[in-house]
Amino acid sequence: MKRRIITTSFFVIIIGIVILLVDYLKPDPLIDFSTQVKPILNKNCIACHGGVKKSGGFSLLFEEEAFADTESGHPAIIPGNAAKSSFIQLLKEDDPELRMPYQKARLSEEEIELLTQWVNQGAKWGEHWAYSLPDKVNIPETVQVAGISSENTKGFIKNEIDYFILRGLDNNDLEPSSPAEPNVISRRLSMDITGLPINTDLYESFNSGNISYENMVDDLLSRNSYGEKWASWWLDHARYADSKGYEKDMGRSMWEYRDWVIRALNKDMPFDQFTVEQLAGDLLPNPSVDQLIATAFHRNTMNNDEGGTDDEEFRVAAVIDRVNTTFEVWQSTTIGCVQCHSHTYDPFKHEEFYNLMAFFNNTRDEDTTGDEPNLKFYDKEQEIKLSKVYDWILKNNNKEVAEAYNNFMKYLEPVYHAHLAENYTNGSLAGSQSIGLRDNGSCYIKDVYTQGANYIYLRYSSGVDASTITIRKDNPEGEILARFKTNKTQGRVIHKFPFKKINEKTTLYIEAENPTISAKTPTSYISWIAFLPEVKGSESPGYSEIDKEFMELINTKTPTLPILVENPDFQKRTTRFFERGSWLSQTDTIEPGTPHVLNDWKSEWPKNRLGLSKWLVSKENPLTARTLVNRVWHQLFGRGIVASLEDMGSQSDAPSHPELLDWLALRFMNEHEWSIKSLVKEIVMSGTYRQSSMNNAILYQKDPENKLYARGPRTRLSAEQIRDQALAVSGLLSDKMYGPSVMPPQPEGVWQTVYSGEYWVESKGEDKYRRAVYTYLKRTSPYPSIVTFDGSSREVSTVRRTVTNTPLQALVTLNDPVYLEAAYFLAKYMTKFDDPDNAIASGYYKALMSEIDKNKLISLKTLYTNSIIEFEQQAESIREFLPVESEVDANLAALTVVANAIMNLDEFLTKS
Amino acid sequence: MNSLDRLIKEKIERDLEAKTRRHFIKTCVTGMGGVALGSLFMSCGSFGSNKGNGKIPLSDRDVNPMASLAPPYPAKVKSVIYLHMAGAPSQLEMFDYKPALQKLDGQLTPQSLLEGKKFAFIKGTPKLLGPQAKFKQEGESGNWVSNFLPHFSKVVDEVAFLKAVNTDQFNHGPAQLFMQTGSPRLGRPSIGSWVTYGLGSENQNLPGFVVLTSGGKTPDAGKSIWGSGFLPSVYQGVQCRSKGDPVLYIDDPKGISRNLKQSTIEAINQINKEEFNKYSDPEILTRINQYEMAYRMQTAVPELMNINDEPEHIKEMYGVKPGKESFANNCLLARKLVEDGVRFVQLYDWGWDSHGDSHANAIDLGLRNKCTEIDRPMSALLLDLKQRGLLEETLVVWGGEFGRTPMQENREGQEMAFKGRDHHGDAFTMWMAGGGIKKGASFGVTDEIGYSAIEGKVSVHDVHATILHLLGFNHEQFTFDFQGRPFRLTDVEGHVIKEILA
Repeated sequence: MKRRIITTSFFVIIIGIVILLVDYLKPDPLIDFSTQVKPILNKNCIACHGGVKKSGGFSLLFEEEAFADTESGHPAIIPGNAAKSSFIQLLKEDDPELRMPYQKARLSEEEIELLTQWVNQGAKWGEHWAYSLPDKVNIPETVQVAGISSENTKGFIKNEIDYFILRGLDNNDLEPSSPAEPNVISRRLSMDITGLPINTDLYESFNSGNISYENMVDDLLSRNSYGEKWASWWLDHARYADSKGYEKDMGRSMWEYRDWVIRALNKDMPFDQFTVEQLAGDLLPNPSVDQLIATAFHRNTMNNDEGGTDDEEFRVAAVIDRVNTTFEVWQSTTIGCVQCHSHTYDPFKHEEFYNLMAFFNNTRDEDTTGDEPNLKFYDKEQEIKLSKVYDWILKNNNKEVAEAYNNFMKYLEPVYHAHLAENYTNGSLAGSQSIGLRDNGSCYIKDVYTQGANYIYLRYSSGVDASTITIRKDNPEGEILARFKTNKTQGRVIHKFPFKKINEKTTLYIEAENPTISAKTPTSYISWIAFLPEVKGSESPGYSEIDKEFMELINTKTPTLPILVENPDFQKRTTRFFERGSWLSQTDTIEPGTPHVLNDWKSEWPKNRLGLSKWLVSKENPLTARTLVNRVWHQLFGRGIVASLEDMGSQSDAPSHPELLDWLALRFMNEHEWSIKSLVKEIVMSGTYRQSSMNNAILYQKDPENKLYARGPRTRLSAEQIRDQALAVSGLLSDKMYGPSVMPPQPEGVWQTVYSGEYWVESKGEDKYRRAVYTYLKRTSPYPSIVTFDGSSREVSTVRRTVTNTPLQALVTLNDPVYLEAAYFLAKYMTKFDDPDNAIASGYYKALMSEIDKNKLISLKTLYTNSIIEFEQQAESIREFLPVESEVDANLAALTVVANAIMNLDEFLTKS
Repeated sequence: MNSLDRLIKEKIERDLEAKTRRHFIKTCVTGMGGVALGSLFMSCGSFGSNKGNGKIPLSDRDVNPMASLAPPYPAKVKSVIYLHMAGAPSQLEMFDYKPALQKLDGQLTPQSLLEGKKFAFIKGTPKLLGPQAKFKQEGESGNWVSNFLPHFSKVVDEVAFLKAVNTDQFNHGPAQLFMQTGSPRLGRPSIGSWVTYGLGSENQNLPGFVVLTSGGKTPDAGKSIWGSGFLPSVYQGVQCRSKGDPVLYIDDPKGISRNLKQSTIEAINQINKEEFNKYSDPEILTRINQYEMAYRMQTAVPELMNINDEPEHIKEMYGVKPGKESFANNCLLARKLVEDGVRFVQLYDWGWDSHGDSHANAIDLGLRNKCTEIDRPMSALLLDLKQRGLLEETLVVWGGEFGRTPMQENREGQEMAFKGRDHHGDAFTMWMAGGGIKKGASFGVTDEIGYSAIEGKVSVHDVHATILHLLGFNHEQFTFDFQGRPFRLTDVEGHVIKEILA
């Protein structure tokens, strides 16, 4: 017996030793570079060893740099040998003068141990998750753990999203919340999809069980208000505004683009097409008017009209903004840093910024005061004329010539702008925008290609008759290419004058004479010159009429929209590398290209904006779909799966649910075929979205930001939603769509912009009550109540609005006449109910789609009673408060006060 | 129950509630800076929700983003008054005395000074323009001040001059943005936003960052110049206006008494408390807090903006014009604001763009008038702060977005109707006064015509670093994470200008 015990003990000991040995001999788990090493490097090393600085000749930014020789003559990292790697040894130094990180606290033992193991394991470099997308993501198995089988979990799972969420909850010992009440979820859903409170009929059918939740989702997605709501979101990305920005900040007509966005969203244009048309609609074959309108996305850049500014400087600024915006909007990447140096934290190289810039550097716009190129919107009759002119030219000429004329009628390009003129004598660039030559004045325009034209087109204005303009080749002694007289004009006109055919790039020397005028008066103000290929068939009958109609059309004043137009070959700009990011010191020539770390370029793509847009929406691009699904998720939950919406690089927040992000991205591209509506539907159908948003202390302590989604979203409504909701519940909201932006009431004296001379002219009739997406947005002075609620001034692309909670917001909803008017109309509705209790309860229900509970009723009734007492004592104050009422009605006045309070409740301003 | 009974019953209920409400307001809300709602809800406990049965731990900042915070390092000053002369005042007629330029008046500018330079309006070869003001050395410091500023010459010993500030921007919009946000492009927070983000405000009844404008226009760069950029918008400047509502929507609607507004806010906050009991969302507490603050602001702001009640001698000292928008009024308001614990007061005075294209923009006429407009008030501001002991805890900064050329502007190559100077960023003058500043100092020297710095050149970033230093920040450590990287007011540059520190 004893012996057996001993033997058994012996075996137990042996087994124990074996286990220990196995454990000891087992290799350390492989250290992962992206998730374990890179964060330590970024936090502690990269500020001095990467990107801008490479102290000691050592950089940890790129793999090849990390293993290269440093200033010491040897590499700092010897893979497989931490003991010989100065990278590791310097972390352990006792002498603070030698120890790394320099003059900072020593790394923790765990961190040093981890880096040591990593080096000993071979210092395997890895790629950040954001730069590759898996082919497939498996949906997690249903979790069958005890904690999850409670009441709340039953019925939680509505679709695949919920499996991902549930796993996260389970890993953190949390449970999902119960579903939100029908009225709560209806209001949440309607606010999220249409930006408006739930329609009563729709809610009643859902609440009574006549239609399903899914029916309600589909109904809301089919409404026009969907496009208006989501347009506000996209227009933040597009930095859409109604003014040019910078000092003068003059108005510009951009609203056709806003309407394009609303229409595109409403018809659920696939996001890949949505992308291509906005970035490169002009480069598509035979672009439609809509496709040209879409390109205004990148004409929302600001335009500087300040006196004394250099148009080229601000053209370059606009191009840089286009590069930055494109990467922020589609790639969640702040490429802007790379303008001046290689990215400090992410693997983007300095020159790659300029490769990208080369895509955008060849559009016709040049920061001119007129915002050219502008798409002209002709009416039906003019459109017919345009087709007639085009058809005639096409009949007699090749397609290229016909297209040149067609484009010129559509958007008056290509031209040579006045700011290109130089070496003035007796003249100057007048008002920063026209060649102003006085008597005996002259100037030069270099590098002009006339395409062998037999006419020169001139847009100019003049206040004097009988000036002679002579255009010579190269210099004052050069061959005369044109000589003509200009007379007084009615405003700006486009005229054409015979021109000697030449077929080479040349310098034009322009001189003006008019001895009859004073030495200070310019002969004319020329804003641009242009050439078109010679038309064949000009001798044939019928041409003169065509020519007349052509000249009429190009001279017709029409509504316009700034668009992108690509430079013809003879106006192509060379893109150069900017030394330290400065446009004034340009060096090497740079070709278009995309960052190396991202998806490969396919040879079938043209090396222009069109190719770039196809590269972005290629299914191999790891960031486009993730970016979009992350931002749509954020719109619905108030938080992104990657919380830093603007950045998915190595400095971004880690995704709360990385696999869900990838699964949604893949599904968005492959199964939803880039349909945003399908994506929205998928998310709002999930049990995760449909949860109650009630919080409690345990939940709050475990997950204050709700990044695990154990409860539904609860966020303050956006500026637009707050305004639209107030107008909607008071019955004032106009459903008129589209058209020029409107100016609802705004306090006096808000616009005080220098040199502008533009005024806020309050809109009349229903235009006062349009949805916020139609409110005129002046960049230097946006609509006050919208910016107070964190709306963007849209000077630069805004990917995420910070949501704040300020006393100024309270002042808006309490005192702004717009909100008081809404309260007054809600009160009028409330007066239909005889009893004050009923009136209050009905007003509350109308505003919140919810029955009022007793305590809330008492609070509002107390307010009502206080108001009645006060108003009955002072009839005069009723007249002041409700000047539109002819009768003094204390009940209405008191109900208005109550309605105003209802519209200030947290639950009214919040999506629960 | 008939309606009378009901009314009576409600009256009782109401009074009862009012009692608890008053208690609530008294103990927990009044003087929000001291007792924040967060600690209230932690300690009172009664509002925490049922299910979790615990308390939600919240910091002051969670429920009040303007809660006052201590700076990381010892500070010399608690608040800042920044006087920005929009349009760029001429240093050559105010502080940077250049007798040699007088001798060269009317001569063509040597080509060596023009090569490689870009100007906003000067074309070809302009003439040099001698100083249009007379200069004297003033005070014990013997610093130069022109006869355009007779009052200021008496307080010159209070300030430290920077005579060689440099900016690389020479258009107003970008240069103002650079001066106020550290970047010539849009999207960065203004200095005032950084400071209120970092320190909050000591007065919870007034905005922490107040903007006052005079001269009839807002600055060229628009309202973004006091914007919060990527910081939460609660830290953006709040413009207090002299005409209309001092702060937009601060006035109660006509016919609504203060009493009724108080009842309204009480009803709203009671219901919001109910809502908090249900949802336990700390944002609701913040909103309750903000509604209380809005109510108090409605009284505090108009009281503050009313300068009529100031003693006559004070009004006279500043030269105020009650009821009008003026720089003098704004200087007096600035003093009242810092006295009340407002963190950052930004003044913009428009009309300093002395190109010589009109009488108002003539360097010998319009500029003199502008100087007269600011001379007395800004001098009074320094004296008034001093006599109240506030100057030692306040930093006053004066400057424009750049300076002006020693050359006479020749717009479009032609002689102009009046004498004027073009934009010039190579070297211009700013001054600072107040706590931590070396009184009577002058740092930086320009060449004999005031064109370039020859010693003590400082950048806009250096100015910012110095302001932050005085407030108790290391400008290199004061950062905000955005777009995946830490941002600073001073970007990657800036050195504290020790030469003007006491």
